[in-house]
Amino acid sequence: MHPCDVETPTTFQQPVEPELIERFKRGDLAAFEAVYRAFERAAWTLALRLTGRRDVAQEALQDAMLKAFERARQFRGEAPFGMWLRKLVVNEALMQLRHDRLHIIEVLDDDTRSDDAAPPPWRLADAAALDRALNRLPDAARAVLWLYHVEGFTHVEIAEQFGRSTSFSKSQLARGTRRLRELLAPQVEDTPCPLGSTTTA
Amino acid sequence: MSTRLDHHGLNEDATLAAALRGLPAETPPTDAWAQLATRTRRRRSTRRILWTGLPAALAAGIALFVAWPHVTLRHDVPAPARAAQSSSPAQASPNGAAPATELAALQSSSAQWQAWVQNLDRNGAPLDGRALAGAVTLQDRIGLIDLQLSAARNPATTADLWQQRITLLQQLGLLHLQPYLVADQTPPNHTKTL
Repeated sequence: MHPCDVETPTTFQQPVEPELIERFKRGDLAAFEAVYRAFERAAWTLALRLTGRRDVAQEALQDAMLKAFERARQFRGEAPFGMWLRKLVVNEALMQLRHDRLHIIEVLDDDTRSDDAAPPPWRLADAAALDRALNRLPDAARAVLWLYHVEGFTHVEIAEQFGRSTSFSKSQLARGTRRLRELLAPQVEDTPCPLGSTTTA
Repeated sequence: MSTRLDHHGLNEDATLAAALRGLPAETPPTDAWAQLATRTRRRRSTRRILWTGLPAALAAGIALFVAWPHVTLRHDVPAPARAAQSSSPAQASPNGAAPATELAALQSSSAQWQAWVQNLDRNGAPLDGRALAGAVTLQDRIGLIDLQLSAARNPATTADLWQQRITLLQQLGLLHLQPYLVADQTPPNHTKTL
């Protein structure tokens, strides 16, 4: 099945037993490990996608988990626990980016143009190629693309996270999308269009 | 964001979102939990030390602050006279013993504050950007004082520099404590929740 036919729920939305949350809030280290194990892949994937670097992602993951544990009493249960945790991971990942000054000065070239008539190359690219292309995007563009498309953040929410305007979020999204198209295009230009096969349409 | 359709009539946004969501989840390094658990235990231990040792450290700081005018009064001798006293062992003996003791006390206090700050630096919460900048400034000032101490010959100046060093170390220590104070004192109605 083609990915565009799938609505994959983020694992941050998985339910957590209230009893586990209570123990976590009381500072039970075993409960902390259980929470960590439940969310480690989701949190790691998010941190890695936002930062683009394993070492930075590791820092972000650890800092976010530590903050969650130390501030667990601030969780009021008004949203799913995983979404509260996700917010901490996003905060820490973007803070790591700011610390490392990785994204501040990067501006994508506005003059590049892509062939609008061509099919989106991500429909034809395999996961490895898309992963590589994503990692070649500038930090801000990659983070905005991920937050918008995968985590479902609005432009207003993204702007808040970055401490910038919504125009920043929109322009990073547009430029990131265009750049992603360019990065993927050469690799799939000779690939036959899968339309007509039974997997899409 | 554009909602244009490609030549298959599919929304570009939707296809990109689906492609990105289709990427497999990554697996963190296998030792990540072990590192996190170690870090958590260390921070708990530091917190215990902080909350048991902090009152004593603050009391020592207040005592020093209160006692300081009495200490400095003893140095209210004109600088040339003090220089003469310090250059003459025979004269230094009756009057120089007290400043030497006070100097040793200041140095000892400075060493204790420094050890406390170093422990916080190693095991405490990471500083945010603003606190980090403040810490760097304080460390620079301490470095400058160390430089001045290495050149100081006047006992009163030396004592004054040691006191300044202690004050800066105290400020540095408080900077490291801020994350804990904020975490523990944030009122519930100011707490940002989802």
